[in-house]
Amino acid sequence: MSDKGDIRELLRRYRHGERPALNRLVSFVSRGDGIDLIRDELQDGSHESPLIAITGNSGVGKSTLLGRLIEHVRSLDETIAILACDPESALTGGALLGDRVRMSSHAGDEGVWIRSLASASGQQAVVDHLDLIAQLLTQFGFDHVILETVGAGQGDVAVESIADLVVLLIQPEIGDELQWEKAGVLEVADVVVVHKGDLPGAERTEAQARDLLNLPGCEQTPVVRVSSKTGEGIAELWSLLVNRPQRDLTTGRNTRRLLRLVQQRIATWFAFHPDEVESIVQGCSSSGMTNEQTITRILSHLTNDHS
Amino acid sequence: MTQQRRAPRIVLAKVGLDGHDRGVKVVARGLRDAGCHVIYAGLWQQPEAVVQTVGDEDADWLGISILSGAHMTLLPRIMDLLKRAGLDHVRVLVGGIIPDEDIPKLEVLGVARVFGPGTSIPEIAEFVGATGDATDE
Ligand SMILES: Nc1nc2c(ncn2[C@@H]2O[C@H](COP(=O)(O)OP(=O)(O)O)[C@@H](O)[C@H]2O)c(=O)[nH]1
Ligand SMILES: [Mg+2]
Repeated sequence: MSDKGDIRELLRRYRHGERPALNRLVSFVSRGDGIDLIRDELQDGSHESPLIAITGNSGVGKSTLLGRLIEHVRSLDETIAILACDPESALTGGALLGDRVRMSSHAGDEGVWIRSLASASGQQAVVDHLDLIAQLLTQFGFDHVILETVGAGQGDVAVESIADLVVLLIQPEIGDELQWEKAGVLEVADVVVVHKGDLPGAERTEAQARDLLNLPGCEQTPVVRVSSKTGEGIAELWSLLVNRPQRDLTTGRNTRRLLRLVQQRIATWFAFHPDEVESIVQGCSSSGMTNEQTITRILSHLTNDHS
Repeated sequence: MTQQRRAPRIVLAKVGLDGHDRGVKVVARGLRDAGCHVIYAGLWQQPEAVVQTVGDEDADWLGISILSGAHMTLLPRIMDLLKRAGLDHVRVLVGGIIPDEDIPKLEVLGVARVFGPGTSIPEIAEFVGATGDATDE
């Protein structure tokens, strides 16, 4: 289905700043089509802003907060692209994607781009190539790229594991037992937002979160209280996000992301060197190597020549 | 690469000034259950905003719901904007209360189909090519 000529033409138009071409390319990538061609095209591009993921349970206010952040970013005269990932019904393959309703105050503004993506098991392409989609968006000229996803612990698609900065939203809860404590999702967060800060109990939730995150010997994860209803904390949150240093992927809780990058790098190498792989495999097969020996051989080839 | 059957992507928007979205929400759920990816854009959408949404979402279909009687001013505008945005390939459906004599006029403008009150969801689903097993190969 992905005609190479088509994609080349789209890439040409994309480079001339044509938004419809960007839109179509994002669709190709989200289906896993034309990946190597597009990755190749974008390789020497330099500008890349970090991919921020906003995660948290359904109903915690991710889309509403994004609507506020969009307003804030636009007031700074910067542009923003949003990828809103919603779970898809496994049974019918259908999806109802309503996130953009809550971000509609800037509908029709060219400085804002929103794409709703159905993320389901079996449609791994969306997740696998989110970094490429983000790259398409930043190289097109969007200053910021943010991902909305239900995220950790929900479903099998851990979209947030590919983000550079994970923002976890929690909200004031009734009762003492905190759901997000049980779920163990705090660990994946780089920033924790106690959202709906206008509700009773927000201060207590904030204190509890700080308490849980304040582990001796660890760098403290920032906790901020925000209300999208009143606007309180929005500007503070944004400046925290844009000034946050890139996280060190070699420390404990970030290794998952690091392994993802390794996986991706290997996959990319395979995509770009089909002939080389083919000739190694043939060499191994003609000298009677076992599958296991062949695999080892390919891996060592990869690490020797392409580190 | 095996060709995966792609779920139709459809943007549903309500233009005009009335605030009734029950009907469009019922259609949204029905089309989802039929296997579509439905992007609900919300109430009170301006034609310019609707067209940008259709483009950025790379939708195959646009479903416009109009109850307010403003269809003969809003739809020509939307069709024109779609054309100018290079979105001629997007097929447009109109739902709501449209007098019979206006239907041919809308079709001349390029509207693919007008669905009046009482249209069944399976009828719309079939029209957009949803099969309910869109993830099968
Ligand atoms: N009180 C209060 N309610 C909020 C706030 N932000 C969002 N909500 C409400 O929370 C509900 C879910 O919001 P939504 O953005 O759709 O959540 P999402 O599923 O995480 O994207 C909606 O009814 C919002 O009106 C807030 O700051 N304060
Ligand atoms: Mg949402």
